[in-house]
Amino acid sequence: MSDLDRAIAQLRACRPIPEPQVRELCYKARELLIEEGNVVGVDAPVTVRIHTIPALRLALMNGLQICGDIHGQFHDLMELFRVGGDVPETNYLFMGDFVDRGFYSLESFLLLLCLKVRYPDRITLIRGNHESRQITTVYGFYDECLRKYGSANVWRYCCEVFDYLALGALVMGASNTLGTSTSTSTNESGTQLTEEEEIEIEILNSAGDVMSRIPRSMAASSDNHETVNSSPLSETSRGAPARSGPVGTGATSDSLGSVGNPGGAVLCVHGGLSPLVETVDKIRLLDRKQEVPHEGPMCDLLWSDPDEIEGWGLSPRGAGFLFGADIVKLFNHRNNLSLIARAHQLVMEGFKEMFDASIVTVWSAPNYCYRCGNVAAILELTEDGSNGGYIPRANGDVNRTGDLLGPVAAGGQISGPGRRYRVFEAAPQDSRGMPAKKPVADYFL
Amino acid sequence: MPASRPEIKAPRPRLPLLNPSNNHTFIQPTKRINDGQDIANFLTSEAYHDIVTFLMQLNASMFPTVIPTPEGEKNHIQTWEAGTNAVVFSNTVLKLKVLLEDLEGIIAEAPPDQGPRRFGNISFRKWYQIVESRLPELLKRNLPAQVRSFHQDGQDETSPVIELESYLLGAFGSAQRLDYGTGHELSFLAFLGGIWKLNGFATTDPGVEERGIVLGVFVPYLSLVRRLIKTYSLEPAGSHGVWGLDDHSFIPYILGSAQLSPPITKLEELPSEGSLPGAPDPAAVVKALIVERERHRNLYFDAIGFIYDVKKGPFWEHSPILYDISGVPGGWAKINKGMIKMYNAEVLSKFPVVQHFPFGSLFQWQQDPHAMPPPVSAHISSQPARASPSSAQAGYASAREPVQEGTRAPWAQPTSMGRPPMAATAAPWSRHPDRTGLGTGSTHNRGIARDVDAQAQSSGDIVGTRAPWAK
Repeated sequence: MSDLDRAIAQLRACRPIPEPQVRELCYKARELLIEEGNVVGVDAPVTVRIHTIPALRLALMNGLQICGDIHGQFHDLMELFRVGGDVPETNYLFMGDFVDRGFYSLESFLLLLCLKVRYPDRITLIRGNHESRQITTVYGFYDECLRKYGSANVWRYCCEVFDYLALGALVMGASNTLGTSTSTSTNESGTQLTEEEEIEIEILNSAGDVMSRIPRSMAASSDNHETVNSSPLSETSRGAPARSGPVGTGATSDSLGSVGNPGGAVLCVHGGLSPLVETVDKIRLLDRKQEVPHEGPMCDLLWSDPDEIEGWGLSPRGAGFLFGADIVKLFNHRNNLSLIARAHQLVMEGFKEMFDASIVTVWSAPNYCYRCGNVAAILELTEDGSNGGYIPRANGDVNRTGDLLGPVAAGGQISGPGRRYRVFEAAPQDSRGMPAKKPVADYFL
Repeated sequence: MPASRPEIKAPRPRLPLLNPSNNHTFIQPTKRINDGQDIANFLTSEAYHDIVTFLMQLNASMFPTVIPTPEGEKNHIQTWEAGTNAVVFSNTVLKLKVLLEDLEGIIAEAPPDQGPRRFGNISFRKWYQIVESRLPELLKRNLPAQVRSFHQDGQDETSPVIELESYLLGAFGSAQRLDYGTGHELSFLAFLGGIWKLNGFATTDPGVEERGIVLGVFVPYLSLVRRLIKTYSLEPAGSHGVWGLDDHSFIPYILGSAQLSPPITKLEELPSEGSLPGAPDPAAVVKALIVERERHRNLYFDAIGFIYDVKKGPFWEHSPILYDISGVPGGWAKINKGMIKMYNAEVLSKFPVVQHFPFGSLFQWQQDPHAMPPPVSAHISSQPARASPSSAQAGYASAREPVQEGTRAPWAQPTSMGRPPMAATAAPWSRHPDRTGLGTGSTHNRGIARDVDAQAQSSGDIVGTRAPWAK
């Protein structure tokens, strides 16, 4: 067992690793992260389904799980891995805010960092607004490090890593449809139906049972899928079979016609857009290796929020901006994106799609701050199996403005990828024993 | 229980009253703390001195009191629990109680919105607007006449009520951000202190009217605030997460620990150790049954009880600072003293908390000539500096109030809605001396310094953490 594996095992048990080890880990992580671009290219991996052997299914279910804020809720992060599938079998993309507010920022962040160093291609970490020196001194991570190590060294090492985290990620080649469900339990008799239905959105509970399934025809007409019943009985307008045949066989067809497959890429960023960033390429040009500035494009990407406004608005957070549907749609169109996935805002239901599903907020900290009573969610994307599994990639560059007049111009919007949300609640807490009281602050000496 | 080292002290200061026969010019209070550097000015201002004096005055009044009895008989110990008959409420206290009840009644007119929401409920804005519109009338009805007409000869002069209104309106959380924190609590303290300065409270022996203020006004204020927090899901204002003392409150921990401290004979002799005989053990905060029993009479346990009401999870995990404090040897007096030091450092000295506190004629920005110079400490210098003028943003300004839940930038300037104080209950570790490196000055200011041991006041903070752009 390597040192790294030992560290992973120790952190999985929620025990911090010694300071020298943190130092080494952070050094390795920086070496790794420095090689990443500001916008990491991530492929939506193939989801292999073996329907006949349910026991194997979970192990092979290696889609890409996109996760929102964690905020030091370590036990809930473990629950997230349980729900989404373990590393390295499952690929993960975390959209920042690993630290602050919770009790286990340190354990959570170090575990994610260990996994990143151990499985660099399986884990993508991008920066949140809390991955900053100034914010962590105000919102708790700094206090936590001092308390757990007695000095600020570990906090300092972590902050140095923060400066190297990517600002965004582009998920390429995500399938437009979920095709059939991977759920076994509920809909056995109705499987034929789902085969014929182009499932755009699927909501699963933490046990993997389908709670709700929304075909594209309905998802397109309704932004509020909570109201959509889970039995998708409505006739789909297209009779084509789902494009989810065995990967590599070419047994799938592109039923979306001119709104072709593969759809646009999915941009993942912690906060949102910036008035100073019109294209994804602009993000690539930033000098990211620094503390998060108070303003400017890098700040906005980590701080902004979508809102029901037109254009840009002042953010009540004092950093970043508010941006409306028009901004998102123009940006997606201009950059050939089908969706922006972001985190940054608590959503009681765990995720929230806005603006005709052109942007989604994913929130992965259940019962946030021990009190909000919210559920959490992660978003699973799977690889498009059409075209024999071939996905044109331009080394992460999707700013193919020349292509825009093709599929997009007609609808104005690329149809979104198939989105599977796994919703989960806070981990049970009975098993956590009460620790010894620590020495108090000097106020009380 | 007598203090181990009797000290000769001057009588405990009370907040001085303004003389109604002197001319006094009232002004609309305005924000003066614009960046981290202004904290040093605040800590030597008249306002700071008055706030601290008033808080210490309330604190001392809550210590149990030894009632002398004829010689030979056992002294009677009078405690000051919530609900005790031993505290008689003055007219002013009763009126303010009514005022708070009226404010609470307005909740029924602004029921929480049932629509989709993030966390904070937007109907709080409606409550706030109704309060704002009715406040002049409510204050007219519930403030003593001598306060409302405090030396006003000219008709067009600014009324003292304008100043009080400003503090009262700032005491219930931010309608814009749908949050509540210690900055708002501070604003209520200033509201009460303002009435005090304007001779609004009864003239009594030291401690008597103060106890009425705590049990008759402050306790109902806390219950109103808690109802607001629960009804509208107000979030913690700028909190250190689990590493802060409490998501929303601080003062109840000061006053509540005073209630359980050893009895005293004179207000000026506050013990720094020990507990009231029979007081619940500080460690009882993790015992739900004891908390439930004590919360109805003690402010400390009342605050703990509220945490249990709103939080799910192990106490030591969601409230580790309170958990550790529950193991402090030295009893409730020790905890009381520590809380006061911590309040000074983590509330009054923190830019995010006090930045929106408005200064007028009652609480003056003007320097206190007797104040000790503030320490040149890393703590103060590492306060966030003013954000560079975001003129770029002004052009995008949108008039509507966004629904918002989440982290605010600590350098945030108020956007549209005037004066919502942003609060932060902070963890004590941020001032631990072992990483000072530079400037271990001490925060010895008048007022709190009298109650605080010099040695424990190291105030170095977060060396090396200043953001590169901080001025």
